[in-house]
Amino acid sequence: MTTKTIRAEYLKGLWDENPVLRQLLGLCPTLAVTGTVITGLAMGLATTFVLILSSLVVSSIKKLIPAQVRIATYIVVIASFVTIADQFLKAFFYPISEALGPYVPLIVVNCIILGRQEAFSSRNSIGRSLIDALGMSTGFLLALLVLSSIREILGAGTFLGYQVMGPWFKPWIIMILPAGAFITLGILLGIALKIESKTKRS
Amino acid sequence: MSLSSRMILVLTTVGLISGGFLAGVAKLTKERIALNIQAEIEEAIKIVVDDAEVSTVLYEEEDLVIYREMEDDGQLAGYAIQATGVGFQDKITLMFGLDETLTKITGLTIIDQKETPGLGAKITEWVAFLQFWEDRDATGLLTLRKPPVRTPPELLATEINSITAATISSRKVLKIVNLSLEKVRGLIAEGKITSEEHDDH
Repeated sequence: MTTKTIRAEYLKGLWDENPVLRQLLGLCPTLAVTGTVITGLAMGLATTFVLILSSLVVSSIKKLIPAQVRIATYIVVIASFVTIADQFLKAFFYPISEALGPYVPLIVVNCIILGRQEAFSSRNSIGRSLIDALGMSTGFLLALLVLSSIREILGAGTFLGYQVMGPWFKPWIIMILPAGAFITLGILLGIALKIESKTKRS
Repeated sequence: MSLSSRMILVLTTVGLISGGFLAGVAKLTKERIALNIQAEIEEAIKIVVDDAEVSTVLYEEEDLVIYREMEDDGQLAGYAIQATGVGFQDKITLMFGLDETLTKITGLTIIDQKETPGLGAKITEWVAFLQFWEDRDATGLLTLRKPPVRTPPELLATEINSITAATISSRKVLKIVNLSLEKVRGLIAEGKITSEEHDDH
């Protein structure tokens, strides 16, 4: 059982155990929907909603679930919250829902969510599970925002749809294509490793 | 209680609670989602048919819907054709307008597409593609003109421009329109749709 303080429990998701930059989890949506900041933000928030509520439910009912059917139970819980997020986006943010396409329903198979249920919520109290989910989802959201900001600014010359680059700028179309996602993520992972190795040495 | 019974009980209970909850959410959002889809279609119709106020579905099949558009005063404004077909990456859904006599395309807009961003996705841009769809001949097969075409007058009435570096997406849109027009002409011949011109006879 962990003895981390509440603060440390939250902060680990932001850097030390950041799901994208350190654990390399949830890379499918990370690569697929970060062509614009608004879709990256929407995906980050939808994942946050699902992760927090799934963690709360799983940590609440963990003692009732037989180990043999735990994964199936987690998936039913996760899929329910994903469907709610999907319906909500379709009803209240229709253009964003259209832009995200199948990636909202695919949050069901996002490894961050199932991973946190198996590794944390099923073994910890409701309070700690909530803090862990908040930290992990904030880390995921931040990674998506950094990646999508770089891709939108360089790939389209805009930020949140507003022109930020002058008329001299010719958009690098590759940045909003899948190749641009891999290149940007690769560079970010390299920077994260470099920072980590420097921190360990000092 | 045996382990098997406990497993069945837990999964059934979780499934039932989840199903009930989702049924409630679906009931709450169903109407609003339907309104969003309707609003998207109405907006597309207004882009391709001037003064369209009242829509009536004349014909409907999978991937093709034909609307008759009336003005506020009851005058025929034209027809709107909603069609879906295969694009370069995924399906493309578009809407194009026809005049009162069903012989001229009045405009085209893309409702849904997942073409390559920055390349094929230019089919949604007015300057690059959509402006070339106004006043096209709808009585025969439309063909693709290779670039460079800068202004619509450079094209014949039976021609559509091809976007530089996105020829496949341009061709896919053209194919969807040509197939839809062929279907419309077939329906006119069968007497299932009558244009204003035909009504006069």
